[in-house]
Amino acid sequence: MKGNVYTLCYAAVLGSVCALLLTAAASFTAPHRKANAEAEETLNILLALNVPLDGKSSPDELADIYEDNVTEGQRGDVTTYVYAPPPPDPNGAIAVRFAGPGLWGPIKGFLALDPKRTKIRGITFYEQEETPGLGGDIVNPSFRDKFVGLMTRDEAGNPGIVISSRGEDAPNKVDGISGATMTCDKVQEMLNEAIQSLVEEKQ
Amino acid sequence: MADSQQLACGPCASQGLCGGKGLLTLKEGAWANNPLAIQMLGICSALAVTNRLENSLVMGGALIFVCVGSNLLVSLLRKVTPHRIRMIAEVAIIATFVILFDQFLKAFYWDMSKQLGPYVGLIITNCIVMGRAEAFALQNPPMLSIVDGIANGVGYAVVLGIIGFFRELLGAGEILGREIPGFSSWYTPNQLMILAPGAFFALGIVIGIFNAIKGPEPEENK
Repeated sequence: MKGNVYTLCYAAVLGSVCALLLTAAASFTAPHRKANAEAEETLNILLALNVPLDGKSSPDELADIYEDNVTEGQRGDVTTYVYAPPPPDPNGAIAVRFAGPGLWGPIKGFLALDPKRTKIRGITFYEQEETPGLGGDIVNPSFRDKFVGLMTRDEAGNPGIVISSRGEDAPNKVDGISGATMTCDKVQEMLNEAIQSLVEEKQ
Repeated sequence: MADSQQLACGPCASQGLCGGKGLLTLKEGAWANNPLAIQMLGICSALAVTNRLENSLVMGGALIFVCVGSNLLVSLLRKVTPHRIRMIAEVAIIATFVILFDQFLKAFYWDMSKQLGPYVGLIITNCIVMGRAEAFALQNPPMLSIVDGIANGVGYAVVLGIIGFFRELLGAGEILGREIPGFSSWYTPNQLMILAPGAFFALGIVIGIFNAIKGPEPEENK
């Protein structure tokens, strides 16, 4: 009996000490991690909107580019990020955040469409915990670039895209990643929700 | 206790720390019983993060830090830890050090943290760390356990470094992200070395060379 009490006390003390250490470390690094996460979001918005970065990459420079080029708007619950370069430049775009459950954890990113909402300008992911080498490949430019120029409606005019390795080619379909069908299905669902909200926002 | 010390430290158990025991422990961990090349532990992370030399070095550094920290703490607590819950206690200690390192990377080396992704967190389940805590730190004094942690961490880091060096050199034609004068200009990078199969080839060759230099295992140990 005495042994049990000792074991319990030992576990409680060790657990508390470890927890205390981690809490201290977490609160010490919190501001740095928050700043990093914000810089990451800013970079992802700029990349999705395809704003020219001119090789700049430091958080401060990115924040400046963001300030100068991107206007935030609010329609209902949806925050939009609009990039409107001066008229002769045809590269204007509007972006929204998308999020949803992935296979192992949440997936979050940004989707940018052209101002008429007919084509995808770019997608980025800033948070994901998919299987490295399979679903985790969604962050690779080789996968994300497939979406650039993709139509946001099917041939019947219904908004939505398809990510699949099966079926016939269509203007609103891209190839999925082999071995990552569940991740692709979930990403497709989130993107379609985001497309829907942008299309509705326009009407 | 005396028996296990004999086992862990061999013929030099009677000598002082800096004389035979420490040196032997160092040699044992880093070379003769190298965790990766001889014991075949921690293979998963060695395959996953070695596509760039920088990643390999940071991962090696992480393992040295975790191994030294957990070995020290497990050794300090070895006489008060109840036998029944020693493994869960070891995991708690290891996890604490791993998360500390992960937080540090996320705060100050964000890009590196993104590159290494989940693999820093997965050090918690790395067999090397748990193996050293269980097989060495539980039976040996703190100073010697630190030496053992350094030895095994360095043993792991060196193999990772070698693999990372050749994968980056052949796969990207660069070292530490920089072009090499007189090499990068004419060399066509072989993508295979950056991808997963390249990791298997590189690891296999390194293990082969290690074992060839070390020679066959003596009969009585088999």
